[in-house]
Amino acid sequence: MESHAEVKVPIRLTTRDPTIELPQDAGVMLVQTSLRRPQLSSLVNSLLRPDANPIPFDILVNGQFLRTTIDEYLTKNGVSAETTLELEYTRALVPPLNVSSF
Amino acid sequence: LTHLTSTLAPNASTARTLWLSHEASTHSLSQQLTESLRLILAPTLATKLRGDFRTGKRLNLKRIIPYIASGYKRDKIWLRRSMPSKRNYQVLIALDDSRSMRESGSMDMGLKTLTLITRSLAMLEVGEVGVVGFGETVNVAHAFDKPFTSEAGVRVFEQFGFDASKTNVRGLVERSLELFGEARGMRGGGGSGEENWQLMLVVSDGICDGHGEILRLVRRAQEERVMIVFVIIDSSASPPLAAQPNAGPSKSGLPHATDPTMATPASQGQSADKPKEKTSIMDLQSVEISKEGKVVRWKYMERFPFRYYLVVRDVRELPGVLAGALRQWFGEVAGSA
Ligand SMILES: [Mg+2]
Repeated sequence: MESHAEVKVPIRLTTRDPTIELPQDAGVMLVQTSLRRPQLSSLVNSLLRPDANPIPFDILVNGQFLRTTIDEYLTKNGVSAETTLELEYTRALVPPLNVSSF
Repeated sequence: LTHLTSTLAPNASTARTLWLSHEASTHSLSQQLTESLRLILAPTLATKLRGDFRTGKRLNLKRIIPYIASGYKRDKIWLRRSMPSKRNYQVLIALDDSRSMRESGSMDMGLKTLTLITRSLAMLEVGEVGVVGFGETVNVAHAFDKPFTSEAGVRVFEQFGFDASKTNVRGLVERSLELFGEARGMRGGGGSGEENWQLMLVVSDGICDGHGEILRLVRRAQEERVMIVFVIIDSSASPPLAAQPNAGPSKSGLPHATDPTMATPASQGQSADKPKEKTSIMDLQSVEISKEGKVVRWKYMERFPFRYYLVVRDVRELPGVLAGALRQWFGEVAGSA
């Protein structure tokens, strides 16, 4: 069984960096709105280089770095989970120190 | 009407224009569906001879020896032709009023589907038709006890703005079961052995959360003898596959990572600048990521909680696939009776 009554939002991953383009477009994926940057970075790693050591990615939504949960982003910006969210990923410039925080 | 109508809902004249145009464009399809439904829904005319009666049309040979042995006392030796029981249908059409319908471009086909089905059922004249809209909440757009005329269709269209910020399918099934319960109660008085058959057609882009809870409600619907057929509108641009009525229980099982080589074949090497093609619901992936970053992916439709679903990319497919699903349902219900 899935975790109960979890809200999911459709996302699409994009990047401007040709060196970290996904080998195959993953299309739209439904993810939990409770996710934060580190989990989304894990998702990109699992699609891009599942067998290699993970590298940290930053996540941008509409040009802003995602620093909260997706849900908090949606609420703050008045966007509903009905809309497909374009998430852009980039190599994290500085390895974040707060990886394990939530 | 007391519900809050979305600001994006069409006004009376736009709704009328839209209804009339959909009515005209789906007319022959409606007739096609009506013909199929007539064959499926009509009560069987062939009657069977049943025993045991004191008078009747034909002797029940199995009763003759006991009849003589009982000193002509056990005299219920006749068979009679019994009348088929009259069936009454209550069909509820639930159209997804959430914003994803608008954004995925499924809105127009949703309205066309609604038109086609309601027109067919009206031509068929077999029972009552209700319409609800669902998003965050459920809005009764047309109650069972009113006839579904063209004018009713216009009134229904006025209530769809496709702007709800949630798609609460669990709430929809819960509320619909209540509505069906009330509708059963209304007709309960007759008691002339009339069978009440209740059918719900959900018309939606198919994207919803909380599958576990929905699955429980779907089972409850089955116990209450309410049939639910989920019509998924797949407005992805990819070439149409054959629409498929799903037989058998929905696949359950443990989450598994999908093979990355199975992703859409035509989409290699896309960058952020290229326009993205729409993802078909058949390719849509569900992802579950733990706090620690463990990623599990699976195809969304593999765990779709409705047992009977149809994936439709074009309204022209609808009469065929819908009739197919209903024929299967009738086969099962008749077989279990
Ligand atoms: Mg929706």
